[in-house]
This record gives sequence, C-alpha cells and structure tokens, in this order.
Amino acid sequence: MNRQIRTLGIAMMVLFGALFAQLNYLQVFRAESLANHSGNNRVAVRDFSSPRGEIRTADGVVIARSVPVDTPFERLRQYPEGPLFAHITGFFSFTFGTDGVERTYASELSGRSGDVRIRQLGNVLADEPQGANVTLTVSKAIQEAAAGALGERRGAVVAIDPRTGAILALQSFPTYDPNPLSAHDQKAVRAEWERLTASADKPMLPRTFRERYAPGSTFKVITAAAAIERASELVNKDYPVLKTLDLPQTDQGLPNFGGGSCGGTVPNLLRVSCNTGFAQLGIDLGAEKLAGEAEDFGFGSIPPIDLPAAARSVFPDAAAFRRDVPALAKSAIGQQDVSATPLQMALVAAAVGNGGVAMTPHVMGEIRDPQGRLIRSADPSPWQQAMSPQNAALLRDMMVGVVASGSGTRAAIPGVTVAGKTGTAQTTGDNAHAWMIAFAPAEAPTVAVAVVVESQDGVTEATGGRVAAPIARAVLAAALSRQPPPVD
Amino acid sequence: MLAGLLTVAAYVLASLGRTASVPVDLAPFLGFTLGTLAVAHVVTRRLAPRATPVLLPVAAALNGIGYVFIARLDADRAAAQATWTALGVAGFAATLFVVREARLLDRYRWTLALLGLGLLLLPLVPGIGYTVNGARLWVGLGPLSFQPGELAKIALAAFFASYLVEKRDLLARSTWRLGPISLPDPRSAAPILLAWGVSILVMTSQKDLGSSLLFFALFVVMLWIATERAGWLALGAGLFSIGAFSAWSVFEHVQTRVRIWINPWPAAAGEGYQIVQSSYALGTGGLSGTGLSLGSPQQIPAAETDFIFSAIGEELGLLGTTAILVAFLVMIGAGLGIARRAQHPLDKLLAAGLTTIVGVQTFIILGGVTRLVPLTGITLPFVSYGGSSLVANYILLALLIRISNDNGRQAAALQEQL
Repeated sequence: MNRQIRTLGIAMMVLFGALFAQLNYLQVFRAESLANHSGNNRVAVRDFSSPRGEIRTADGVVIARSVPVDTPFERLRQYPEGPLFAHITGFFSFTFGTDGVERTYASELSGRSGDVRIRQLGNVLADEPQGANVTLTVSKAIQEAAAGALGERRGAVVAIDPRTGAILALQSFPTYDPNPLSAHDQKAVRAEWERLTASADKPMLPRTFRERYAPGSTFKVITAAAAIERASELVNKDYPVLKTLDLPQTDQGLPNFGGGSCGGTVPNLLRVSCNTGFAQLGIDLGAEKLAGEAEDFGFGSIPPIDLPAAARSVFPDAAAFRRDVPALAKSAIGQQDVSATPLQMALVAAAVGNGGVAMTPHVMGEIRDPQGRLIRSADPSPWQQAMSPQNAALLRDMMVGVVASGSGTRAAIPGVTVAGKTGTAQTTGDNAHAWMIAFAPAEAPTVAVAVVVESQDGVTEATGGRVAAPIARAVLAAALSRQPPPVD
Repeated sequence: MLAGLLTVAAYVLASLGRTASVPVDLAPFLGFTLGTLAVAHVVTRRLAPRATPVLLPVAAALNGIGYVFIARLDADRAAAQATWTALGVAGFAATLFVVREARLLDRYRWTLALLGLGLLLLPLVPGIGYTVNGARLWVGLGPLSFQPGELAKIALAAFFASYLVEKRDLLARSTWRLGPISLPDPRSAAPILLAWGVSILVMTSQKDLGSSLLFFALFVVMLWIATERAGWLALGAGLFSIGAFSAWSVFEHVQTRVRIWINPWPAAAGEGYQIVQSSYALGTGGLSGTGLSLGSPQQIPAAETDFIFSAIGEELGLLGTTAILVAFLVMIGAGLGIARRAQHPLDKLLAAGLTTIVGVQTFIILGGVTRLVPLTGITLPFVSYGGSSLVANYILLALLIRISNDNGRQAAALQEQL
C-alpha cells in the first residue's frame, strides 16, 4: 500500500505543480494584459476611489478635494468653487476621464508618481500612497476679477506673469460646473455630459487655450516687431495718410476702421491702430519676414503649457502669399487666415514686456506631499526668444503710447504705466471680436493679459478699445494690487 | 501561535487598507483567535500527545487567512464564520475525545455507510432540502441550514476504508481477462459500480458536479490503494470518461461549464462572467497583489465561498496564492506521511482517503477558478466561507491527528520493546 501512497503523493505534486504553473501564467505572464483588459475596470475603480490630493490656488483656496462618502467609490471629488476654475482644474469623471490639472498632474494627485512614492517609503503603514497636493500659480483674487470683468459675455481672459510664465488667471465663458461630471451616479453624469456637449455655447471648451480667433489689430504688435527686428529702415518710414489702401491684384480696397484716415511712422500707426499703414508695412516687409517673426513669437507651435490639448496659433506659410499680396496685407493686420489663442496673444504681450523672451507658460506652482514636503516646483524656462531686449523696449514704448493716447486709453491705470494694443477682428457684417493685450508696469512688468470678447449679436461698436480694454484694466489692476512692486 | 499572529496581523492590515485605522474590535478579535487556537492546541496535547504538530497550525493559518478575506468581503458572513470556526474546533475536540482509536470506526462500518448515504441524499427529501445557485445541496431545519454532503464524505471515507480493508484480497483478484487487460471479477466490481452510480445520482439530482467528482475520485483512489491493482484506476478512468461524456451530452449546464472553460470571453457578460472576473482578479493581483482590501474582489460573484482563492490572488498576488498552495501541499504531505507510517491497513487507508479528500477538493476548486479544469463549484477546505465545510474539515483533521497519534504511540511502544 505504501507504494500506492507514494504514487498518490507524486500525483498530488503533479496536480499542484500544474496549478502553480497556471497561476504563473495568469498572475505573471498574462497579468498585465488581464489587468488592462477592456472589460476589467479594477484599475479604473482603484484609481477613481483612491485618495487624491487637493488642488489649491496660489492664495491658498482649495478648489478641488476628495471627501469620503458612502458609495462603492468611497471618495467623491469636489470643486468647492464650482464653475470658477473649471477650465483649469478640469473634471474627474469615472466615465469620461479627466481634463485640466486633474489630467496633467494625475500621477502626482493620485500619489502614483515615482517622486511621491519614494518619499512615502518611510511611511510603511500608509500602504496606499496618499495623493500629493498641487498648488497653482493661479490666484482666486485675480481669477475672480477676470470672471467679474468678463461677466456673462462669451470670451476669454488670460493673465500671466511675464517674468516666469506663471499663469495668474485663466477665465473662459461660458463655463461649467465640474461637480456633476465628477459625481458617482454614472447615469446622471452621462446626462450632464450630453447636456454640456450638446450646448451651442460650448461651455466645456477652454477658450483661453483651445480656441483660436482672428487676432485682429493685436497682431500689429508682431508686424511692428517684424519691422523693428528685421527691417529697421521701415520703422521711421512715413506712411501716407489714407482712408483706404488700394490693394494690388484686386479692385477691393482695404479701409481703416470706422472710415477714418491715418498715416505716419510705425509708432503712430500702432498708437491709432492704422490699418492702411500696417497693411502697406506688411507688403513692404514681405511674407518671409512677417511669417518668421510670427514664428519667433510662437505661432505654429503648441505653447508648452501644463494643461492638456492646447491649440497652436496659425500664421500661414510665407509661400501662401507669393501670388496673393492682398492676403499678406490683410494678414499683417491680423485678419484673413491668421488665428491665435488668447494664451498665445498673452504670451506676445508677455514677451514684449519681458525683454523679448516668452517664458514657458505654466499653472503649477508647486507640489507637496501630504506631510508638506516639497516634491516639485515650477522651474521657469524661456519658450521663445522673439526679440532682442533693445528692440523689445522700443516696441514697449510704442505700446505705452497706445494706452496713453491711442486706441487703448480705457486700459489706463492711474499711477501705473500700462502698455497695450487693442484689436477688433471683424467677423460677419458689423460684428467683431473685441481684443486687448497689455502688460504693466510697462518698465518692469509683473503681469500681462490677453482679453477677447466674442462678437455679440446686436452689439455693434464692440471695439477692442471700448469692450476689451476695461476688462484688461480690471485684471491688470487686480494682479498689481496682489503683487508687491519689485524692489530695485 | 504563529498562525494566530499571522491571522491577526492580516486582519489589522486589511482594516488599515480599508479605513487607515486599526480595527476597534482588535482586542476581542485577538482574544477569540488565539483562544480558539489555544483550545484546539490544548485538546490535541491532551488527547493526542504523540500526533504530528504540523497539521493544526497549517489548518489554522488557512482558516485565519480565509476569515480575513471573508471579513473584508462581507462583515455579516465573517461573524457567522467565526461562530462556525468555534463549532469546528468543538467538532475537532469532540472527534478526538470520542474516537480514541481510528480503528474502532470499523465497528460502525454499516452505520457509517448508512449515515453517509443518508446525509448525501438528505437534500433530496422534500420539505427540508432546498436549492441554492441551482444545486440542491442544502438542508434547512428552522434557522439552521447546512450542506450534509460535507459530512457525508468523511463518513463514506471511513466506510470505504473499513469495507475495502476487509475485501481487499477478494477485490485484488483478477479473474476476468479481456485480451492483455486483466479486470477484476465483475461480482467484486459491484462496489465501484455502486459508487459510480451514486455519484451519477448525486450529480444528476443535485446538480453538484464538484462533489460527485470528489466522491468518485475518492473511492477509486482508495480502492486502488487497498488492492494495489492499477486496473481499478483504469476502470475508474474509463467509467469517469463515460460518466463525464454522457453528462456533457445530456445536461446543458455541463455543456456550459465546458464551453466557458475553453473560452469564457464571448460570454464575459453572461455565463462566463464569474470565471472572467476571476481571471481579471488574478491578473490584476499580479506578483505581489494590490494589498489587503485594496482590490475589488467583490466583483467576483461568490468571492467569499468558491472563489475566495481569486480574492486572495487579487490582493496578495502570486506570493499569496503560492503560500496557499504550499500550505495545502504541507497538509497533504503530512496526511500521506501519516498514511505511510500507519501500521494497520485501516488506519493507512483512512488517512490516505481523508488526505485525498483535501487534495482532490483543493485541486478541483483551484483548478476551476484558475481555468485549469472546468469549473465545478466546491469549497476550498478551511478557507472558504461555509459552516458545514469548516466543521467537516476540522473533523477530518481530528481523524488524521488521531491516526497520527496512534502511529506515534506504536512507534514508541516498538522502541520500548527494542
């Protein structure tokens, strides 16, 4: 009988060996494909219900947090400020994923990034990584000023620190409330998603960095920069005072805005936003120089902001103008095929203010683990060298003239030198997008802004100077009052 | 002692993972776990002092890990499982107390046979038997419900052992030749045919594939060990093939089982849901698991009973599942060791039979949840939630320890003579 018992033992070993082999197959060899299988929501559920760090503003307001709740997901993501920061934080949805900072800094917020993990090694009992907290460069005070000034008009406001590229405010209207999208009842979440995506107002579109508009006359800053940098003889050329510029190759003329007459040298052309003069300047510069300057300011590249899916701004290839001089003339004043995001135009203003260098835009200020230890902080770096410091100073002075006595006087702040440029980009008929880009204090700017108010039905005379300049002024003032003046 | 500490540590970790705090009921839990184990240990030292020291701690560790996972999956069931553990240890003590020598079971051979068959068929009695998940295995008496089949397998193993030891010479004689194959005398083959018939009966009437497979395997293995004739294995394999094939052709639920074994993915949302979720759980667990109570094993239907191994695999990974395999192998090794050392054929056969129950049952369910073999629902001994199973397995353990003690006593006696 012992022989049989021994054989039975061997048989058992074989059976258990087969089990062990099968376990290795499932838990090692196929582990990854099973864990990430489309029908397996374990990883998604774990990510969705694991602790997640807070998102805070630069002035210490919590704008995203996770609270324990009694649902199978265990934790609910809340956005205490509702729609105010929606386009920055994004949302955190089980069905629709994430957007905004929730996506860019997902691994830090969930505590799954290497940096956060290594720091938690000492804390053995916290067997699940705790999420790190992300503090933004955006401050609630400036964001509220931007939201309040824009009000319920469709448009966008970007405020940025030219010295570092730190985003100070990023307001887009219409907006949405990320709370319902981050809720646990997926049926309700889907209904809200349908409602938001079906809306013609596109409330989930961050107009600040994912929507392009014709920049209109704000683009004249780049045309002026092209002259200063690449054809200095044109800067002091005296352009004739005209009501309409006759364009070659066509019987259409290019009129000044509102039917006025203007002319003179580049500083004066910029001050009064002279279409005829800038259109001729564009023709005089030629397509290569204009396109080259636009590229130096970042057109054609996606601004490397730490928010998902930023759009690139567009200036056509020089080759496109070879047989189409009227298009070149119109592009020189920011019409035709030129389009830019409000973020890009804020970066143009910031570059002029910052000695010709556009810094890499970013919303993350610093990331700290739950114990308060620093994990990462923003590391300012240049993005585009658009102009030399001397040339940037020349352009800055021209932009000061715009606000001091030109088309942008409504952006002036008593006691502060503001540099800026208005824009009114005609859309259909009398309707136009109203633009303003500006920075202050002009001599050493700490804030640059771009404002766009989309064309409103039934509202004519919506010029940049009238509509956008006061918004720029409010945001500049809010930012300046938050920041101590630089110490000399 | 070590098993107790292991259980308590795992329990604390599970709670930490869930709520990041030490469970409030830690002290009573610690007391209960260590207390129960201490009782079992003291009883063993008193009633079977020469028994192997391996079996009880391994069983306790398996029981403890199972409990932690049940507590993590379903708190109400954990309370019930704790009660059943206490009852199991009581059954363990009672068995050691009553059965002073395993051979004495010989006297109650036919009683055990009737008891076994009676228990097995009890769920078919109208009025008290009822069906859970399509299998008619349950008996309800007032608030109590249990699966008598769990106890039946022990009674039948004891009966088989006693019957086969007496008839082994007769059964070993092969008078029936079919070409090169020599088969046993048809008359003496009657018992195996009877066992086969009963298994088929159980399977068809109660729809319990796992148990009928276990009974059949148990009987064939015991017959083979008793007679030392491999012919019985061949006959058993043949009958198994016939039974399995006819079950497959006749019953739709058997066809479904085979289909979702070969490829569960097309039915991932339907019949294959459970096995697919089990694969997901094991795959997600990977090498080291998600950590206790940090996975989602509650997504597997019946995670605390038949699929508890997959839950362990998700949260403790390959390391955890391998530890469980090793624990069972240690238990099986100890059981077969007891069988080999036993002097009396009845002890030998009973120990081998009881060990076969543990080994085959473990293989059936683990092979099922890992899709190595078609899934046939059965509990994982000591680990799964289930009162009848737990009590039955503690009784089984007591019998093995009793035989082990007898071995030790005889060895000591032998040494004295020398």
